Amino acid sequence: MASTADYKDRQFLAVIGDEDSVTGLLLAGIGHVTDPPDSQKNFLVVDNKTETSAIEAAFESFTEQRKDIGIVLINQHIADKIRHRIDTYTAAFPTVLEIPSKEHPYDPEKDSVLRRVRRLFGE
Amino acid sequence: MEERADIDHLLERYLHLLHEYTSLRAELNKLQAGLYQNLARANFAAERGMRYGQDQYDDRMQASRRVVALPSSSSPACATFEVVKVEEPGTADAAEASVSKNDEAVVSEVQSTRREEDGNKKEEEEVKDSLAEETKPRSSEPKAKKTKDPLCWFGLITPMPLRQAQAQSVQAVEDIVPKLVSINAEMAQVEIEVRRARKKRAKAEAAAKKSEDVTSKEEITV
Repeated sequence: MASTADYKDRQFLAVIGDEDSVTGLLLAGIGHVTDPPDSQKNFLVVDNKTETSAIEAAFESFTEQRKDIGIVLINQHIADKIRHRIDTYTAAFPTVLEIPSKEHPYDPEKDSVLRRVRRLFGE
Repeated sequence: MEERADIDHLLERYLHLLHEYTSLRAELNKLQAGLYQNLARANFAAERGMRYGQDQYDDRMQASRRVVALPSSSSPACATFEVVKVEEPGTADAAEASVSKNDEAVVSEVQSTRREEDGNKKEEEEVKDSLAEETKPRSSEPKAKKTKDPLCWFGLITPMPLRQAQAQSVQAVEDIVPKLVSINAEMAQVEIEVRRARKKRAKAEAAAKKSEDVTSKEEITV
């Protein structure tokens, strides 16, 4: 059970996605860079050259290290690269949501929520 | 029997949540598709070599939409999420700017009355200096104020598709995403309750079977 203190300071959304997904979401005004000298961003733009370890590090930073993130949005095709981390992540805060990207439409088969549903109904 | 009714009730609630989740998913997909289409249109119509992307992001950006998590009214064990627009500092600055304008009017009024009186220039200058010092830092504040609208990263005049993309993104972030994560949290909670109820039922069935076995053995011995 999550206490109020757990989510009181979690006020930012974080994004791990391709350039168009991040640009689109930042247009809504969710982008935030903390004050120097840290200057931590709450987003990661992933392209073909981005290594899986960098994605994993960003996910770890948003979910474990930073205490000001309330929701982590991640492109589904990027979540696939770190699927083991996504599926084993069970903490209530921050909550993780997979979103579609331009080139990879939403696939219900890969959605961790719907996989949980299937498990509950014994499939 | 009672346990079975409980489980059925929980599963019914779970299926309602699942239905809500899938319909919100469909809505999010639609909005995201529109957003990507509009971004592509904006990039297509942009000047040669220009791309609306990470090169234009502001390195000092501050979030204008933030998450608020509250305890859920239906089940206090999980939280409901909301994304709200934080108040722009521009409104406070605008109020301050109007205050500084008023001060300027006061300065001119004081100056004119002083001139009319006796022409004591020394005193007049003192008053003028002291009031000017008060107004100076205030009048410079609105200039230092930074707009929070991310559209400004991409220039003063932004294309219509980019503005449409922003509107769709705002709708997704404010309306759909918080509902989806709230439902996700509630579903996770119901899953825990269902598993608990199933365990309870299994225990009750095992106990009933055991007592049945004992009675049948007693009957055989008699």
